[in-house]
Amino acid sequence: MSSLDQLKQTFFDECSEALQQIELGLPDIRDGAGSEDTINAVFRSVHSVKGGAGIFGFEDLVKFAHVFETVLDEMRSGKLASTQEIVDTLLQANDVLTDLVSMSRSGEPIPPDFGSECRAALQQILRANSDGEEIGDDDSPAPAEFEGLDFIPVRVDNFDEAPPENLESEYKIVFRPKPDLLKKANEPLYIIRELRKLGKLDLTVETDRLPPLEEIEADRPYLGWTGTLRTSATRQEIDEVFEFVVGDCELEITPAEAASACGNFGSVAPSDETTALPSMDVAPSLVPGTEPTPTVVEATVPLSATPADRAAPAAPVAAPSSIEPAEAVAPRGQAAKPVVGATTTRVELEKIDRVVNMVGELVIAQAMLGQVVHGLPEDVSARLVQVLEEVVHHTRELKDSVMSMRAQQVNAVFQRMPRLVRELAMKTGKKVRLEMTGENTEVDRSIIERLGDPLTHIIRNSIDHGIEAPQDRLAAGKAEEGTIRLSAEHRGGRIVIEIKDDGAGINSERVLQKARDRGLVSPDAALTEDEINNLIFLPGFSTAEKISDISGRGVGMDVVRRNIQDVGGRISLKSDRGRGMTIQLALPLTLAVMDGMVIRVGTETYVMPMSAIVECLRPPASDIHALIGTPGMLRLRGNLVPLVQLCVLLDIDSSASASDERVIIITDAGEGARFGIVVDELCGHQQVVVKSIEESYGSVPGIAGATILGNGRVAFILDVEKLSDIASSQNVQTGVTRFVNGESRAAVAVNQMDAMRSLHQ
Amino acid sequence: MPVAAVLKVLVVDDQNSVRQMTRITLEQIGIRHIHEAENGKEAMGTASLQPLDLIISDYNMPEMDGLALLRAVRGHPAARKVPFILLTGRGDRELVVKAAQAGANNYLIKPFTADILRQKIEQVMGKLS
Repeated sequence: MSSLDQLKQTFFDECSEALQQIELGLPDIRDGAGSEDTINAVFRSVHSVKGGAGIFGFEDLVKFAHVFETVLDEMRSGKLASTQEIVDTLLQANDVLTDLVSMSRSGEPIPPDFGSECRAALQQILRANSDGEEIGDDDSPAPAEFEGLDFIPVRVDNFDEAPPENLESEYKIVFRPKPDLLKKANEPLYIIRELRKLGKLDLTVETDRLPPLEEIEADRPYLGWTGTLRTSATRQEIDEVFEFVVGDCELEITPAEAASACGNFGSVAPSDETTALPSMDVAPSLVPGTEPTPTVVEATVPLSATPADRAAPAAPVAAPSSIEPAEAVAPRGQAAKPVVGATTTRVELEKIDRVVNMVGELVIAQAMLGQVVHGLPEDVSARLVQVLEEVVHHTRELKDSVMSMRAQQVNAVFQRMPRLVRELAMKTGKKVRLEMTGENTEVDRSIIERLGDPLTHIIRNSIDHGIEAPQDRLAAGKAEEGTIRLSAEHRGGRIVIEIKDDGAGINSERVLQKARDRGLVSPDAALTEDEINNLIFLPGFSTAEKISDISGRGVGMDVVRRNIQDVGGRISLKSDRGRGMTIQLALPLTLAVMDGMVIRVGTETYVMPMSAIVECLRPPASDIHALIGTPGMLRLRGNLVPLVQLCVLLDIDSSASASDERVIIITDAGEGARFGIVVDELCGHQQVVVKSIEESYGSVPGIAGATILGNGRVAFILDVEKLSDIASSQNVQTGVTRFVNGESRAAVAVNQMDAMRSLHQ
Repeated sequence: MPVAAVLKVLVVDDQNSVRQMTRITLEQIGIRHIHEAENGKEAMGTASLQPLDLIISDYNMPEMDGLALLRAVRGHPAARKVPFILLTGRGDRELVVKAAQAGANNYLIKPFTADILRQKIEQVMGKLS
């Protein structure tokens, strides 16, 4: 990639940030919640897009952004009221701008009249506001020069230029900075440079104050300078050079040849700088001193004073004097401390991914090392174990830091939603308002990438099927405008995303009817409301009477569910008939490395995610109650928890499953549905690197992935969520029909939907 | 005559892409010491820490915009005489007038070529060598 291409990428990345800023700011402005800063930020964002687009030659982008920006500018300066209609047009303009940016990015040709409608609407706003004044299209080339502007002539650094001729006088200069000079962010080099601009400067550096190297403190000045300056400049001009440091240095400026001092010496003409540097509102003035005693000067004279005022005290300067600080001058010298903010740097994602992979390998190597160490005789291993523990600790921290580097705010996905809602609302003629919270919640990139489609689909469904038409809502006693709340938060090591609408909720009769019509449920099956609602996750299920062009795209909630489950997440829904529904997505924070419990069943070793484990226990046999048709129930603190024999579920010969040796892991499969998984042994807790098996084997229900253990062996990572689904369907069937295909370990791999279908047939 | 290769230039713009483009263009005319800052505040930090020969700053920035930066520079004891070129979008005449009044030494309209950049710098500092 050439550097120009790379820069273009940077520009487009900046565009995305800018567009997001606009997207966030405009609704606030519409609701009257936006402050002046909001409008400014939105304006600045459009302006940045325009500026960058100009540099990189995206003319269409520049043209559109220009009109957009002009409207915002009018609004910013208070000439244009931010009415809802106008902001709506601006939101559309942002959509057009977004499209233009993405077309420019992908290099697609932009249709000649693209966005012309929106642009016309923007121009209409401007015309209406400016009483018919024609709005420029900004098609004209940039003016080469603005006529009639007086720029301040700068006194260019002389560099190697010959000093000005006509030297009229010579001064002896002694300049020794004190520590305060540096502390106030002044720089002796500047001063010397400035002096050199005045004439021929001949300085000798004094090094006698310089301490031995080991005693040097970096923030103390040790050098001083003495020498002569031959110049035609006035005394005042020389003093001006030292204006800001007079209190912070030893300073002597003495005419070397007082006799030859020329006439203009005392008569100080108002210098050009009076106008050039309006911020200089104080200047030190001099009071004649009696030779050779230095004099303390108190007075300060504002520059606005008449020349006569200024000349008066300065007139008899011919006598040598040294300048002492005037208190009023000192604060001016206190320069702003350098500003240090939170700085960021852009790193290619590939590089971070490489680090993540390396950390993964490190975790494995460390586990292997642990295994070796534990195999050593104890007298040898004792100290090694200590060191190893440190390594484990650091590896974990390293992993956390790297993962946080890769983390992204869910906003990356959320930001696309307002536009979606807007467009869908327009298409369906419904009024919908989107509220988002927790956009700053961070989650690993890999999750973010796979969140977009499911979220889009759920919101589409909400607007298409959930939110009612305005008249229906009014009739039902609801607000005309429907609301969708999109929220994200961290909860128990997972990120929970909730999509909540106040629409009609799920029509369970219709869902049940559809399911029966399609043979998904047997006609006489008695299902609870929740079970019915969950039928919408079945493949090929669509309740829309007619397939609309919005959500009826052949992709159902089953795909959404599969997408979420593929990343180890779970989806659940709650519907409140007539009041709306809530869909909750719970996702792992990362896909790369996780905390796992290594367990043994028979001769097989598996890893169970720690996030799914509530507690592990070895209960007395008396606490396990046999229940016909189930593997038993565990009485735990007064509650009955259903048990699942992992060996049965996975069809493994288990040595201990019948004995008291077995361990029960209580897991939380979400929604408070707890169950106990019976295993033979807990082998220990370790960090594991998740390796996807999907690419090689496809999605295997019950198995989330694989990992490499410390002993170098491969172990499967269990998908507790899925296991609970399989187990619960199995429990219901047990005694009626055995788990379909439950003959071999491949049972796990059998499509879970088949199992569910068999349940109802 | 200012020697391009030893000039220390500070480029101030909140957009990284624009900063980098400006850097590339400066490099094309032989300038090698280029500092960058994302906004006026950061720029003031840089300017008060080291001697600069030229500041090229965008106008539109969060934190502290180009005009505010210009005023701060002109009021800063160490940096007050550093030449200042303001970057603007096209057609911002009003802004350029304001900048001229505040002590800017020249302006530069985005987008610009290396030739125009050199021309503007030379107008301010004299012919580059």
